[in-house]
Amino acid sequence: METLITAREIGKYYRMGEVTVKALQGVSFELYEAEFVVILGPSGSGKSTLLNLIGGMDKASDGELYYGNTPLHLADARTLTLYRRSVVGFVFQFYNLIPSLTAYENVSLSAEIAQQPLPVREMLEQVGLADRLQHFPSQLSGGEQQRVALARAMVKNPRMLLCDEPTGALDYNTSIQVLRLLKEFCGTYGKTVVVITHNIAIARIADRVFYLKDGRLARIERNENPLPPEKVTW
Amino acid sequence: MLWRKMLRDLKDNKGMYIACAVVMVIGLLFFTSFSMVLVNMEEARNNFYYYQNFADGFAEVKAMPVGEVERLRFVEGIKDIQGRLVKDVRVVFPGREDNVYLRLVSVDPGLLNPINGVRLESGVPFDEQGLSMWIDSKFYRANGLELGAEVEFVAEGKKRSLRIAGVGVSPEFIYAMRSAGDLFPKPEEFGIAYVPYQTMETFFREQGSVNSLVFKLAPGADYQAVEDRLKLELKAYGLKSIYPRKDQASHAILSEELEQLKNMGRSIPLIFLGVASIILYIMLRRMIENQRVQIGVLKAMGFTDKEVVLHYLSYALVIGAAGGIAGGLLGAMLSGPYTAMYRLYFNIPGLESRFLPASLLLSLALSLLFSGIAGYRGCRAVLTLEPAEAMRPRSPLPGKSVLLEKVTLFWNALNVQGKMAVRNLARNKGRSLFIAVGMTFTFALLAMSWSMWELSERMLFDQFEKIEIYDVKINLSQPLDRSLVERELSGFPGVKSVESKAEIPVTLINKWKKKDVVLLGLPAGSELHRVLDADYRQVQLPGSGVVISERLAQLLDAGVGTELTLESLMLKEPDSPPKVVVAGIIPQYVGVNAYMELEALQDMLGQGEIVTAAMLKIDERDLSLLHEKYRDAAAIAGLEDRAKMLRQLRELMGSYSATVYIMLLIGMVVGFAIVYNTSVISVAERSRELASMMVLGMTPSEVLAVIAFEQWFLSIFGMLGGIPLAKLMLVGLARSISNDVYTMPTALGMMSPAVAALFTAFTIWIGQRAAAQKIKSLHLADALKVAE
Repeated sequence: METLITAREIGKYYRMGEVTVKALQGVSFELYEAEFVVILGPSGSGKSTLLNLIGGMDKASDGELYYGNTPLHLADARTLTLYRRSVVGFVFQFYNLIPSLTAYENVSLSAEIAQQPLPVREMLEQVGLADRLQHFPSQLSGGEQQRVALARAMVKNPRMLLCDEPTGALDYNTSIQVLRLLKEFCGTYGKTVVVITHNIAIARIADRVFYLKDGRLARIERNENPLPPEKVTW
Repeated sequence: MLWRKMLRDLKDNKGMYIACAVVMVIGLLFFTSFSMVLVNMEEARNNFYYYQNFADGFAEVKAMPVGEVERLRFVEGIKDIQGRLVKDVRVVFPGREDNVYLRLVSVDPGLLNPINGVRLESGVPFDEQGLSMWIDSKFYRANGLELGAEVEFVAEGKKRSLRIAGVGVSPEFIYAMRSAGDLFPKPEEFGIAYVPYQTMETFFREQGSVNSLVFKLAPGADYQAVEDRLKLELKAYGLKSIYPRKDQASHAILSEELEQLKNMGRSIPLIFLGVASIILYIMLRRMIENQRVQIGVLKAMGFTDKEVVLHYLSYALVIGAAGGIAGGLLGAMLSGPYTAMYRLYFNIPGLESRFLPASLLLSLALSLLFSGIAGYRGCRAVLTLEPAEAMRPRSPLPGKSVLLEKVTLFWNALNVQGKMAVRNLARNKGRSLFIAVGMTFTFALLAMSWSMWELSERMLFDQFEKIEIYDVKINLSQPLDRSLVERELSGFPGVKSVESKAEIPVTLINKWKKKDVVLLGLPAGSELHRVLDADYRQVQLPGSGVVISERLAQLLDAGVGTELTLESLMLKEPDSPPKVVVAGIIPQYVGVNAYMELEALQDMLGQGEIVTAAMLKIDERDLSLLHEKYRDAAAIAGLEDRAKMLRQLRELMGSYSATVYIMLLIGMVVGFAIVYNTSVISVAERSRELASMMVLGMTPSEVLAVIAFEQWFLSIFGMLGGIPLAKLMLVGLARSISNDVYTMPTALGMMSPAVAALFTAFTIWIGQRAAAQKIKSLHLADALKVAE
């Protein structure tokens, strides 16, 4: 399996007045192609910070972070933008759709800037929203909005999907639906999916689980038999 | 897709963007219409001047034999020179009581390309018998004349008549006023007639001579040098005046009008575009603040900084383009009636309202430039926003006690809403400043428009209700002895009092600054032409020295005590000009004059006790008798009725009031745009805060009270700031409007601050109604949800 991301002793520090807050320190790992990784940890453990670093939204203060052979920790803003554009797809807890664009348009917006986008309509059909194309975000339920957000991330045909609490604002049934889509994207298209959550149950569908605590990577566990999403309960 | 997002965002906030665009449209409407009219007028004028061979210089003499004129051709620097007779005659229209005058100007029908040639609009050449004339088109139309009609007039006491063979105009009389004292052309009372010299000379005793010269300069010749040479040549023929084209009445007024148009075409659009840009800037900044999460998402998706900035810039550019096109088209439409209005006063053949694509494009470019700058400055914040940071909700602004809390008396008087409002103002200094500045602009615009209205009333009516308060003024055709004039007139039935005055054309010089003005010699303590200071107190003219108007003082850079050199062809010894000391400076809104005590003036001129005009108080009943007796007297050039003058002024002001109403309306629209937008922005970006208040149990009107309190509180400071701004704008406007005919006062009118305050308050109130609507429609649950 090809290595997508290599992190060596990375850290992220914020200065807040007199004190330096270490949001993340000494974290090392690899991410491989077509694997499903769940990052677990309580609030404030540094999950989102780590995701931001992997996604090129932020730069590490310490250590080395590579995408293939590209050093992300040294990259300039232009390179990072290009990286986000072509390699990464984001899914957020609160969907963050553009309120003034319809479902179809939100997905098209993303397709427009991708190098090899997947068909917009097909993506929306895949997430089960073929009949909601012309709806605005305000006319969609939370689960539907999150599925649009998923389609928007997937349509770019990224190598890696980064999801920050994608089910955090959803009920159980909708959550399972979203997780199934993520799992499918990983399996069918052979993409890497990273999901942040503090819901331990979700960890059971992952190939590997990263445990974060106080800004450090406590351990990495491999799941020999990941469960299909519909088998998971909480 | 971002394009669609932008269009939808614009649509969702259309009220705000339309308000902003309207301000821009108004500015560009002025710009396009002014510049189109300007270009059309300039082109028509230049063509007309060129093809009709408009003179470079003019001279007036008592009398010069026709044969002598040829000799002047050889004066160095002269390319061509022609002599002619120019005489005013009274027209006899059967059944008309008023005095109608024609200025007869002799022409030489044999010349191929005469100087100041007449462009015929219709008609035929002069007939062989010498019984026809051409007449100026404005007079022709105003009096309902027809080709072939006979016009009867009185020349040197004898009735004569000529047939109208043609209708046309020469470049010398584009703006035809009988005397500098007239404020505007009155084509039904005064016109120009062009008569062959051979015909005209037989009407007057100056047979075989001319009294006016027009000349063209040779290429590269210096006017001043030519004038000096001509002065020597013409001295023997009683040179009365000699002046370059720039001082020729019609040309000077047209040039000033065009200059004013140019200045206004620059300053007014600039004010409006400036205001629109500020509104746009604030709107974009607020929008970017509100859309920071969306910006974060776009950046996370991989949109580059440039793409995101361009996206937000497109809002500004779309507004700019819409405003530019709408303003440009409306301006182009307006330029038609606007040109027509100019055609009423200025007789320029070939003046058409042509559509100029260049002006439209320039208007578009201007609006794109302004909105582009405002837009870029407004959305620059996008660049510094890191995607990860943008996605986090902004940390709340620190709430802290404000300085005003120390003023316990004030603080304790406030209820909770009031306290909240005051703290909000201090926390959001940028927003507070914007609202206050908006109100400052609104107030200043309104105060300025109203002031102009008040001031123009004062400007014109002061002159004829407080300063010149005679019933009739009789202008003499040549200087006469004072006692002779006063004796003659005081014996006339119904005359209550007579005063005479001298109006002497002079050049006043202070170092390198010089100005041609009419010096008024008034009897000490004159009751019929009073000299007043700013507080309407009569100023006693001193036994020596000269009193000058404020504008003249400014033009000459002179103060009380400055010594001026006085040149005049009316001096007994014009070659040794005397010095006069400025003894006082007075405001003067109509005309630009210098004043001297009559006897002191007569002493200085050394031509005896001469006067050039008489002013009378007379019983109204005897007025027509006076006209009857004197209108054809050779010694009298004309009679001016003050009552008639006032009537005409009222008519003029009546048409002017429409302009002021439009200005006021524009002020209100701009004010409304500012106040409405600030209210709506204020509600939108505080929806969470306002919703929280409502969740706590406050009613929508209680919530509105908080915002309203903020606005009223700020408006006090805004309006106070508006007073000096209005004053500043007036000074700027006065500078671009004032000329030798009108000087605009720059003091704020008495009523204008009150009127402006009232209108501003009204605008704020309307803006708050809009805010109230938004508050009512706030969706509590949505507003309190996380993120946005």
